[in-house]
Amino acid sequence: MVSSGTILNGMGVGLSAVTAEVFRVKPAMPLPEAAKHSGDTATETQRLKSAITAVAEQMNLLAESAGETSAEIFEALNMLLEDEDLFDTAVIQIEDGWEAGTSFIRAVEEFAELLSGDAAFEERLADIRDLAKRVAANIAGISLGLDLPTSGKFVIVGEDFSPADTAQFTEAVVGVVTIQGGPTSHTAIICRSKSIPAVVSCSKAADLVDGMTVLVDPVGDRVVVEGKESDITKPLTFIAKSHDPLIPVRANIGSLEDAIAASASAAEGVGLFRTELLYLSATTQPSKEAQAKGYEEILRAAPAGPIVVRTIDAGSDKPVPFLNMGHEENPALGVRGYRLIENHRDFIIDQLESLETAREASGREVWVMAPMIATATEALEFAALARAAGQFKVGIMVETPSIVYEIPSLEGKLDFISVGTNDLSQYLFAADRMNPALGAMLNPWQPGLIRALKQISEASSAAGIYSGVCGESASDPAFAVLLAGMGFDSVSSSRSQVGAVREALSAVTLEQAKEVLAAALSGNSAEEAKTNAIGVLSGISEN
Amino acid sequence: MATVKSSVTIHDPIGLHARPAGQIVKLVKESGLEVRIGKHGQDLVKANSPLRMMAMKAKTGEELLIEVDADDEASANDIISQVQEFLKG
Repeated sequence: MVSSGTILNGMGVGLSAVTAEVFRVKPAMPLPEAAKHSGDTATETQRLKSAITAVAEQMNLLAESAGETSAEIFEALNMLLEDEDLFDTAVIQIEDGWEAGTSFIRAVEEFAELLSGDAAFEERLADIRDLAKRVAANIAGISLGLDLPTSGKFVIVGEDFSPADTAQFTEAVVGVVTIQGGPTSHTAIICRSKSIPAVVSCSKAADLVDGMTVLVDPVGDRVVVEGKESDITKPLTFIAKSHDPLIPVRANIGSLEDAIAASASAAEGVGLFRTELLYLSATTQPSKEAQAKGYEEILRAAPAGPIVVRTIDAGSDKPVPFLNMGHEENPALGVRGYRLIENHRDFIIDQLESLETAREASGREVWVMAPMIATATEALEFAALARAAGQFKVGIMVETPSIVYEIPSLEGKLDFISVGTNDLSQYLFAADRMNPALGAMLNPWQPGLIRALKQISEASSAAGIYSGVCGESASDPAFAVLLAGMGFDSVSSSRSQVGAVREALSAVTLEQAKEVLAAALSGNSAEEAKTNAIGVLSGISEN
Repeated sequence: MATVKSSVTIHDPIGLHARPAGQIVKLVKESGLEVRIGKHGQDLVKANSPLRMMAMKAKTGEELLIEVDADDEASANDIISQVQEFLKG
């Protein structure tokens, strides 16, 4: 039993604290692999029938607890679940020897194939596949859902949460604690965007049990058991000493909605426009006209200032349906980002040309950069493609360690570089971003990363190349001060953090930012680096 | 038992999607009659499977053939007019 006042350290996400009751999420077991059955067809068919009935009953229960509009959705889903043709198709699979759960999934896939390619059915397809999973899970005796409470206020505690999990977060989720996962985990990103206080990579949280009350104190990077109001760590308050921040603060966007929201913030332009979101749901390659139109809307809506557009950053882990990416053993180290040029040169050129059309139509200043550049040859090849396509400032993302050493050779060839700290950490530390057990290594305060960033900034300025940072680390006000101290020319933050980052950068002089950097560099661990830097910063903000 | 044949037109802007398909199946099951539906020139499918009907990918403005096996013409016509109603969107 964890006693009152016990402090569990982790990495905080967000600036406000919350106190609520613990709700432990049980780890979901993976579905079994496709398998043949060893029994007879009749028994297997009966198992399938009972599982479908059971899932339909679960859905009815959900329908009862949901409002009237949702109830209609659940009813429609049950019609699909209990589709007679679907059942008959599954029985044929059972007759072929597949066990009940596998058979149902295979039958659903048969229908999915018939329905695919039609935009009107995309969401239904996802729903049907989800139903198939539920049926297979029921047969295998596995609980799939998080079964989160829908009323009350809870701090949910679990290993780590997948996109499917976070989609189930209810109104009742007021705080989140994960045992694994780092500051760039999906959980952290979602909690930051939804303003849910969270502490990730909190290994001791494994001791928390249902019914305890905990304080989630993200600013203090900790969870306090039965924590009081007085235990809340106050965020550093910065008193702006100048109207303008030390270096410009831009916003990260991925959609028209983001662009509109960012223009309501104090952001000076866009430091990272992730274009892949426009393609992930398209089943066929959008025409150049359609792309140009989409870009134009976003460029027009974006906050005043330059707009840095990143060309498609997809790979087998983030597949774009119409680019037909194969399965890879190590997608993070595979054909992704600019490496798609090998098989999809036309698509990348189309993208640049569509952007040029949108740039001309909108009259905005557009910078373009390619992700996942590992060699100077790739950087130069991209620069040539981009300059041939339009009037852009041209740059690259710095996220592979190899390109760090090539910055001097890019002198006079590139206009700018932008550091993606999330991927740079992953490759620098050889720590898979998707592996929640390695979250602590991806802490941006790791001295190794801080030194690498300093080297990148110095090499860029020596080569006369403008440098910026657009990773998650630039959304942390204190870390942004560190980046300014290193000599970076701009930072780009999540749009919800633009204000806070701007405030911090308006409260310090370059000299002070350098002192903060020196303090961080004197630390021998991520924790020490952060504590030292915050120590100097609080001294500054108190004066 | 006689077969009543007719045609219905899709006015729903999304075409024959999950909701009207579900409504049709519910109606057909409650009636206990056999109803078949399909595009001109294609095999008709039994209207007891929403997925099978969705797989026809019938769009707004398309005309579908519909057949109802029923003892009395009145109940068959009743089904047909209700199906047409579901396809209005």
